[in-house]
Order: sequence, then structure tokens, then C-alpha cells
Amino acid sequence: MLRLLAFLFVVFFFAESAFAQLERERVEEDRDVELTFMAPRNINLYTVHHLSGGELHYSIMHTFGEVTGGARNLWGIDQGANVRFSFEYGITDHFSIVTGRSSMDKVIDLGTRFSLLRQTVSGSMPVSVSVVPLVGVNSSSLDFLDEPYSFNERLNYSVSLPIARKFSDNLSLQISPIAAHFNRVGPEINIANSTKNSYITAAFSGRYKVTQITALSWQYIPSFDNEVNNPSNLAFGIDIETGGHVFQMFFTTSQALHEPYLAASDNGRFLDREFRFGFNINRLFGIR
Amino acid sequence: MKKITAILVLFSFAFFTDKTDAQSFAATEGYAEFVSNAPLLEFKGKSDHLHGLIDLDQNLVDFYIDLSTLDTGINLRNRHMRDSYLETDRCPFGEFTGELTSDFDPDLHEEQDVTVKGTFEIHCITRDKEITGTIEPTEEGLQIEASWSVLLDDYEIDRPRVVFYELADEQKVNISILLEPGEN
Repeated sequence: MLRLLAFLFVVFFFAESAFAQLERERVEEDRDVELTFMAPRNINLYTVHHLSGGELHYSIMHTFGEVTGGARNLWGIDQGANVRFSFEYGITDHFSIVTGRSSMDKVIDLGTRFSLLRQTVSGSMPVSVSVVPLVGVNSSSLDFLDEPYSFNERLNYSVSLPIARKFSDNLSLQISPIAAHFNRVGPEINIANSTKNSYITAAFSGRYKVTQITALSWQYIPSFDNEVNNPSNLAFGIDIETGGHVFQMFFTTSQALHEPYLAASDNGRFLDREFRFGFNINRLFGIR
Repeated sequence: MKKITAILVLFSFAFFTDKTDAQSFAATEGYAEFVSNAPLLEFKGKSDHLHGLIDLDQNLVDFYIDLSTLDTGINLRNRHMRDSYLETDRCPFGEFTGELTSDFDPDLHEEQDVTVKGTFEIHCITRDKEITGTIEPTEEGLQIEASWSVLLDDYEIDRPRVVFYELADEQKVNISILLEPGEN
């Protein structure tokens, strides 16, 4: 008993006096996986990369003419662009409102983005899931038609469900089921099939981080429209993160820049060089 | 029985002596900030999770911070900072371990200039570092203030060089922490 007490005394004394280096501990052991993608958009598609409450995301997106225009047309740059401005504001860390305007068909759209699930570092949640419902209005002048469009006929709707997993620091993959509907279609609308109102597809996209600030990206949106033999959408790009902006440059087979038109619009054949240059600039602001 | 009592007294003496005459000071909620002053943009990454320890008996100075707690005010920038620059999943901590190399009197209750020398680690790269700062013994403990510069290049932290210089290569680090006696 005496020896035990003596031993405890020695151990305790030296343990107390021998103040070692601090033990390193993380503040949060489990947390959400971050930067599954570099920006809220990957080429043209919404990603699961959600805004936080009080953040404003501004993006300007472009696609130009097909590169087959050659050097005289600066490989499509001279042939006019589809330009889309969009704003997204995070109301909370899981819910944001979206608005945008595309020059193609002069579509103005409104929508929301919900972050339903977030992948966690521990693996307790293996994927991140968002849902993005949009409603757009075609504001083109369509008065030249014998039967002009009513406001209701100008509307289109879409909903996409991005489901993504960051498999490693470098590789992230996403599948986005998309449903889109145009209240009225016709040859005056920039879609591939002027007789088809509703579209369903699933977009596959991903990115592979090459360096800490650059990543290769891609998207593939199969066309299930056999009536007009419309090829599938295919795009490859590179993302560059600059510490404040995310630049995305890509080649894509479609001039479309957002979900309903990505599901419905005409595509070139990539292997026949029927693709075009495009780029996005993403910028985020802290509003509150 | 007397021997047992004597050892218990010694045991208690060791325990209470160490607590009341502590030469070790520690805390877990100090303040640290990284200031980036680039030509186009100045911003700070701030955290209230600085852990610190000064053991005067062993002349040990030890500080660390979980770098994922740095907040620049914009969450996307935080995420890029953690993921693209600091790589906090692989290298979670910024840390300094060293010793006091200048005189310091813990009984003198006034701000004293001090120098510490040791190693500073960030992004899993360790470099020798000498830091000057102040220590002020107070009733509550030791109030520490220090500033130093970190060159991102020295710690192999990549940053965009071609498009925009929004992140300065030289980051100024400021810390402020009250170390209380006997905590670890």
C-alpha cells in the first residue's frame, strides 16, 4: 500500500510538472464536405455547391458560334453569343433564390435552390442533393406570328435534382435528373423539336482537380428525342479559381446555358467539330 | 498509519503547490488573424480558436489553431481558402512551438517585449521562426500579443499568379490571447 501511494505521488508530481506540448484537436471532427465543385455552376449545370446565408453569387455565362466558322469568324466568336446573367442570393445556408436572363429567346427566369442533403467527411451522408425549380418567361417579340403568344404560353418550367459525391480531393461526379416543359413550342423557339413540349433527361457532369486552383470539367446530357435525331449535349472545360473569381472556359455542343434549354435545344456533333467556345465568370459577394 | 498520512500530505502538497504556484499558462479561445493585403483586395481570416501554452519551468511556448475555423467573411472564399490554399483536411493546423529567448519576469506586472524562437508550421511545411511580441502578466494570467509575417511561397501554398492578384504572398499574422495559469 505504501509503495503504491509513493508511486502515485511520484507519477502525479512529475506528470503535473512535466507540462508537455498541447494536444492538437480539431474544432469539428465531422463536417460537410466542401467544394464538391468550384462554383455553383459546372459548365452550364447547377451543382450541389450551395451558397451560405447572406451570400450573393453573380455569374455571366456565354456561348458563341460553332468553331467551324474558322479564323475569319474567330472560330465562332464573331457569330454572336448567347449571354446569360444570373444572380443567386442565399437566404439561409440551405435555401437561395435565383434569377437570370438569357439572350437566347430573351428568357427571364426565377427560381429557388434547396440544399436537401450534404455529404459529410465521416461518410455518414454519402452524397449531396439539391433541387432547383425554375420558371422562365420568353420575352422575345413574337408579334409577327399570326397567333401571338399569350403570357401563359411564353412560360417554361424546369426542375433539376443535382446529386453529387466528392470521391476524393480531386474527383467529383454529379447526376442531375432534369424535367422541363414549354407551354407552347414552335419553330420560333430555340429548341430542337418544335412540336415537343416536355422533356426529361439526366445530366452527367464532373470535375477533376488538376492543381489546387485548376480543374477539368465535363458534362453530358443525353437527348432522348428520337423524332429529330438531336445529338446529346457534350462539353469539356477548365475551371480556374483566382481567390475571388472562378473562371470557367469550355467547349460545348449547344448554345443553351440553363436547364430547360439544355434539355431541349439543338446540339452539334462534337466529333464533327460542331462545338462552340463558351466561358463563365463567377463572383461571390458577402452581403450581410 | 503515520507513514500513510505523511504520503497523503505530500500528495496533497504536490497537487496544491502546482496549482497555486503555477508556471504554466494555457488557453483555448485566443484570437488569431491572417491579413492579406493584395493590390486589388484586402481581407482578414479571423478565428477565436487559438490554443496556447507557455510553460515557464520548461521554457516551452506552444500555440496552434485549427485553420478550418478561419473566417474571411465570405463562406465561398473560406471554402476555397481551406480547400485550395491551406488544404486543411491534409494539414489542419497552423502551429508554433519554441522557447523564450529573451528575459521575462512573470512577477513584473507590465507589458514586456519578448522574443521567442522555434518552428512555425502551416500547410504541413515547417520553418524556423523568430517572433517578437509582448507578454503582460496580469491578475488573470499572461496577456500575449504578437505579429509576424508569413510568405506563402515559403510554405508552398499555391495561389493564382496570372489572372488576378487577390491573395497577397505575404500574410501578416496577429495573435492575442490571455493564458490562464494551470490550464492545459
